Amino acid sequence: MLEWLSDNRAYVAAVVIIMLVAMFIGSIVIGRKQTALTAKDEVFGDPERTKGGWYWAVCGVSTLLLIWFYFSWGVGRAYFPQAANEMCQVAKLEEVISPIKAALPLGSRYYKSTLLVGRNDVQLTTLRNDFPANAFSAAEQAELKDLIVQIRSLIANSSNPTLLNQKTKDELVNLSGQIRALGDELRAGSRGLTPTAEALAQPKWGISLTEIPLLPTTSKGVLFDNVSAKAQDLTSFFRKVRNHVPVNERIIADVRERIKVLKATNEAGSFDEKTDVARKAYVKGVERIFRRLDDGNIFPAASLDGLNAAIADLDAAKDEARGSLRFVEAVFFPGQGVVKSRTQCTEQGSARWLPKPTDVVATFIQLANPDLENGGGYKGTTLLWWKWLPIADVVGFFFPDWVADVWPGEYARHSADGTITPNFKDKLLSFAQGEVYLGSIPMFEGHIWDSLFRVLVALGLGILLGVPLGLFMGVSKFFKSFFDPLIELYRPVPPLAWAPLILTIFGITDDGKIFLLFMVAFAIMVISARTGASGTQLTKIRASHSLGATDRQIMWNVIMPNAMPEILTGIRIAIGVCWGTLVAAEILAGTTGIGFIENIARTVSNYELIWVTILIMGILGLIFDLIMRWVIDRTIPWRGKG
Amino acid sequence: MTKFVKTTVLGAVTALALGSASTAYAAEEVNAAFFLEWATPNQISKVDKAYDKAMGVKVNWTDFKTGVAMTEAMLSGDIDISYSQGLAPFVTAIQQGAPLKMIGIAVVYEANDCFVKNGSGIDSSNASELEGKTVAVPLNTMADFAFRKYMAALKVDVSKMKIVDQVPADGAKSLADGAVDMACIFGGASSKAAAEVGTPIMNKQQKVDAGIGSFDVISTTEKFATENPELLKSFLEVTNDANLAWKATPEQLAKVSKDAGMDLPTTTKQMADFIFPTNKEQLEKYFGENGIAAAAASSLGVVFSNASDGKSIAKTIDGSFLK
Repeated sequence: MLEWLSDNRAYVAAVVIIMLVAMFIGSIVIGRKQTALTAKDEVFGDPERTKGGWYWAVCGVSTLLLIWFYFSWGVGRAYFPQAANEMCQVAKLEEVISPIKAALPLGSRYYKSTLLVGRNDVQLTTLRNDFPANAFSAAEQAELKDLIVQIRSLIANSSNPTLLNQKTKDELVNLSGQIRALGDELRAGSRGLTPTAEALAQPKWGISLTEIPLLPTTSKGVLFDNVSAKAQDLTSFFRKVRNHVPVNERIIADVRERIKVLKATNEAGSFDEKTDVARKAYVKGVERIFRRLDDGNIFPAASLDGLNAAIADLDAAKDEARGSLRFVEAVFFPGQGVVKSRTQCTEQGSARWLPKPTDVVATFIQLANPDLENGGGYKGTTLLWWKWLPIADVVGFFFPDWVADVWPGEYARHSADGTITPNFKDKLLSFAQGEVYLGSIPMFEGHIWDSLFRVLVALGLGILLGVPLGLFMGVSKFFKSFFDPLIELYRPVPPLAWAPLILTIFGITDDGKIFLLFMVAFAIMVISARTGASGTQLTKIRASHSLGATDRQIMWNVIMPNAMPEILTGIRIAIGVCWGTLVAAEILAGTTGIGFIENIARTVSNYELIWVTILIMGILGLIFDLIMRWVIDRTIPWRGKG
Repeated sequence: MTKFVKTTVLGAVTALALGSASTAYAAEEVNAAFFLEWATPNQISKVDKAYDKAMGVKVNWTDFKTGVAMTEAMLSGDIDISYSQGLAPFVTAIQQGAPLKMIGIAVVYEANDCFVKNGSGIDSSNASELEGKTVAVPLNTMADFAFRKYMAALKVDVSKMKIVDQVPADGAKSLADGAVDMACIFGGASSKAAAEVGTPIMNKQQKVDAGIGSFDVISTTEKFATENPELLKSFLEVTNDANLAWKATPEQLAKVSKDAGMDLPTTTKQMADFIFPTNKEQLEKYFGENGIAAAAASSLGVVFSNASDGKSIAKTIDGSFLK
């Protein structure tokens, strides 16, 4: 069942999207009706006005999910499951012709030749201006200056269309013709082309590690695939086309010889170190530019016009052949579309970092699978599951080993016949170390439980210690004055500032992480309990005092209930902040936990996993908050109604 | 209202003008990434602007903390060339379908060490005792790769160990505190700290015998490689010149250590363990048929992801710019 759903997630998404659209429209209709019904009876600013309104919640959730579906290309995949494969074939063609395009104004604004001429010209000018006057003799200076003039003439000759070699001319014309032929093939359409069986057997889009199937699965895709295979040959041919001007050949040979002479003088000559370095660097600079020009990479601009036009024609043919795909791409695939890299086709734009909702669910299900042997869980730990926890482990945890050590007597030794008879002291030790069987209790385990455990323990300790301290600080001069400087000094410290110390003090076990979260919860609880206690109306305290209440009664029956709203709000805030600090806490010596998964997923840019952890944390935080809201409603129903 | 419209229109026009100006300029500037505290001879060329002169464009250098960040910057188009990206982040990026390319080898160095706590009585001869023990490893880094290679060579079952994800500085600290029994470390300062309290599980010779080594690569985007092959050639040529000119003289070391942001002794020690292969050596040993580059990348790919097809990574390795 799950397997089938996973393989057909595009269809599942298609149904879900239709349902979401229906919910979106339906909730707006209901919402408008309801608003119209009560519009006249309500007073602006009345808190009662915000009660109810589930339809707007439905509307909000469906809007969010629809936006998510849209920008992750989920909508596109649901209704055009072949589009990415076709876009991939188009991207293949684009990748193949990109070297030709990059040399033309179509791809990079200027002809590559123009850029090379400009760049070399600037460098030659710099070279001439930066002449190290003292390093060369007068004759050598003249020689070098002439060399620069000669190199410049290489550029000029290569750029001159009248000097263009007939062979090069023919090659370029031939190339343009073949590219136009490709354009015609694209225009002829994809009739009669069928995808291979191998292509059809590929896993669907987004199912396997290879995001988008590479081989064409539609006839349109086959057309583009065929054309790009042919274009590959043309590109290889283009790379080999060179502009070898006959006049230049002579100059090249001459310049090469003269540079060799200069280098020989440099090697042989006994110059002082500084001069030597300057001479070598300069000659090297001249040679570098020369070497860039001797391989005929510069073409006259006019000679390439035909090629530029042919590529423009191919682009136009490509757009025609894409047909409806162009509009689908523009509307349903926001971003830069599909890009072909050397090994695979990838989604670019928002879809690169925003996985589709269905994929996130699939990743979550895989993660939640408790069967570790078959790819479930993460790094050898389940997401949330249960196990039998021996009670002895718990007892051993609380029962210290030293009790056995101080018990009178000696531990047993092996006897002469090689056997060991344990005495009471041995049994005590094995009890303290949890090595006896006392039965088992079911217990949660897994990443979510580990994270929850850390947050809950820290929060529990924070409440247990923080609330009494805060209350006392609210009512007692001693407590207030004694603890105020301590609390106020540590409270503003951001929790992560403790991180560097945690490792040395607590090691790599859970207590360090719990301590970090405790520091957060404790400060919040103290402050809120204190504010609550000191905010009690004096008249209430005096009234109960004059009615004969004891100090304890005043504390329990007057101050506590008065502080309750502040304390509960404090707990609600503390949960949120603890949850927020969790990812950072789990960076420290991570072994398990939601934050740990996210940290590892980040190092391999596994966006699906990152979003799963974000959503798990969001949902757990939401559940906590809902519980707290319920508790607040039950325990202090009078809040906000004073 | 009219003022608002005016301001908006003006702002939009300025933004457009600025935007197009920067794109027009982009072809004339190259953005390169490098690591601080990772000393290489080409930093002399970087300081002397030899790259700018040879390539004829302005080269902007940005320092990065991790190779993963380099990948992200290259994907967003902010960086064109990453110098000395770790092999691990490069391979994981390729596995995620990133359009990147390996065009050269920056540094060859000894594999990162895994330090066993002194006094635990464990060394390479009885390494299987590590099963059931706790190990600090910075996951998905070259140190992680080295760790898995060591354990495979010593026939230790990794799944029976408790692996804790810790950055090297923390790992060294935990090793000193005794919280972990072994810590796998990269980086000069952390390795030094770990060596105080621990011993490498395999020594230099054992690593060579087991064929465990590391290298950093020079990577670029597919787009940049297609559009500017001549700039890449010049870049590698200047790097090669710098490597050839490297004699570890005091002046050279002083220049590099200043740029790398380390003191002189640390720089000297770090560079003593580095090998900077020339373009010729790279072509012969690393980028040829069945070269080291492809073999190492694919074996690393398999270590990090079982589903990975080792061969496909070889397609992203291109030595043609070294010629």
